[in-house]
Amino acid sequence: MNRKILVGIFDTEEHLVAAVRQAREKRVAIREIYTPYPVMEAIEAMGKKSRFTLAAFLYGLFAALGVLAFLYYTSVLDWPLNFGGKPSSAFPSFIVITIVLTIFSVTILSLFTFSIRAKVWPGKAYVLPDRRGTDDKFVMVFDKDTLGQDAPAIERLMKEKGASEVYEKEESSENVF
Amino acid sequence: MYNREIRGPLVLGNKNFGQVTADILKPLDTPTPRWWKATFGLALLATAWGFYAIYVTVTQGIGTWGLNNSVAWGWAIINFVWWIGIGHAGTAFSIFLLILRQKWRTSINRAAEAMTVVAVGCAALFPALHMGRIWLAFFIIPYPNTRGPLWVNFNSPLFWDFIAISAYLLISLSFWYFGMVPDFASVRDKATSRIKKAVYGVLAFGWTGSTKEWLRYEGLSYILGGIAAVLVVSVHSIVSTDFAVSVIPGWHTTIFPPYFVVGAIFSGFAMVMTLMIIIRKFYKLQDYITDSHLNAISKILIFISLIMGTAYATEIFVAWYSGNEYEMFTFFHNRITGEYTFQFWAMVICNAFIPQLLWSKKIRRNLSIVFIISLIINLGMWYERFNIVVTSLSKDYLPSSWASYYPTWVDVGIYAGTLGLFTIGVLLFFRYVPMIAIHEVKSVMHAGENHTKHS
Repeated sequence: MNRKILVGIFDTEEHLVAAVRQAREKRVAIREIYTPYPVMEAIEAMGKKSRFTLAAFLYGLFAALGVLAFLYYTSVLDWPLNFGGKPSSAFPSFIVITIVLTIFSVTILSLFTFSIRAKVWPGKAYVLPDRRGTDDKFVMVFDKDTLGQDAPAIERLMKEKGASEVYEKEESSENVF
Repeated sequence: MYNREIRGPLVLGNKNFGQVTADILKPLDTPTPRWWKATFGLALLATAWGFYAIYVTVTQGIGTWGLNNSVAWGWAIINFVWWIGIGHAGTAFSIFLLILRQKWRTSINRAAEAMTVVAVGCAALFPALHMGRIWLAFFIIPYPNTRGPLWVNFNSPLFWDFIAISAYLLISLSFWYFGMVPDFASVRDKATSRIKKAVYGVLAFGWTGSTKEWLRYEGLSYILGGIAAVLVVSVHSIVSTDFAVSVIPGWHTTIFPPYFVVGAIFSGFAMVMTLMIIIRKFYKLQDYITDSHLNAISKILIFISLIMGTAYATEIFVAWYSGNEYEMFTFFHNRITGEYTFQFWAMVICNAFIPQLLWSKKIRRNLSIVFIISLIINLGMWYERFNIVVTSLSKDYLPSSWASYYPTWVDVGIYAGTLGLFTIGVLLFFRYVPMIAIHEVKSVMHAGENHTKHS
């Protein structure tokens, strides 16, 4: 059976943020917040942190070392070419390729990381409690079962903080096709 | 951050979020306009001519081009550098303005990025065709092979170019595409037809706008933005090393990398201006692409034009100051005067002098004149590349090898073909993709008001 959720619809970011703050003060677990653009306070309220930049740094570090090692292997060990007596291990002329290939690798790996961690990919079935969340509304969702007896209080809280609508529904995922 | 108002409102008309979505998605729902179909038809004709010219090139070889033993690089390289230059604007706009936290970029970056992707695609066509046997183009990919095993020359700027352009195409494509994912979700969720919902649903990657997604999305934007900023500078520096590491008079100068990068951004911004005026005019998006936006681009164009003028003057000064007779000859007898005088002065007038008209507020407000100036800049930038490529090669150290250069219809055809392809790409973008980054505009539309603190 699908999970029951309590959905609050807000017209403005300010109302949403006020409700989020209140919910945090009361230590109520918010299931998810859907916004038409990134709202930092909502992201922070969900207590989510990302180590994406660290991951990207590590990708870059290993890619740079990998490219330099590859260039050394091909140009010095495997098949050294003599360009007018210039040294095969031409570090300065390796730098450009290293920078560009590092960027290339970081891009590809970051895209995959994003896709996996944010769970977005072509044709993915998705859970969108209210379609207006990608247009002009700010949507706050609570898990009805987790709330238990607190549900009416939360409903009141959202309305007090400016929710234009509060309703219950069964969570269901949507398929693209 | 983002608490001060400097430029006035970024979105006019006191709109709410719903109106923003509706306004920007309107061209996707309305019937295709007649001007669109007419331009598309013309672009198809140009592209068809281009494909025929490519067919001739591939089947008969690059002997069908106007190249000769002295001028071994002609229109293909000129057009390649020109297109890559135009392609620089998208990334420059998005990345540098993102890093500098310039909010006015939000109405413009999507179109600039689209333009980048199409322009870089057009650019990549030229070196590929210039290889002669395009079916052997994979030889340039470094992998253990049965041909030696011989590796490519990692010290060659031509190889750097290949890597740089591939990386640039990938990163600008991903930056553009992932920028659109939340907007595709908006299209999907407002779609009424099943086909549209399915198509944009696939494109939207199951985006919902949850905090989990936005958190990583912001991370991805800054990572791609940060590394692409380095890439923008390095790609055109690399293009310039194609010339600068040689010993040809007029090419062998250390000014080339910054000169090329700035020139690229110049032509790119000019092309952005051209497109923005078209979008404003035909799609009536004046509330989003405001006079203030165009004014800001005009001011950037004046500034870059001054840098270009300084670069031209510096080259001439260094040629004289070095006392090198070959450099002196190239600049004073083969550019300022001589066979290619017209191209040289066309470059100087179009790039260094005419954009100075934009100092006048009256001219900046007259969009017809600004539109013409933006076209003139791109013409001037084409002449700049002609100057660099042809004048230096046509007359170098050995007078017995001197030769003039004239393009053939095949050269012209391929160029026209890329213009057609570019137009087709841009028109498809106008028609099927939200032209303005909806979610980004929404995030800055109350800029200046005290309560907006999102970054």
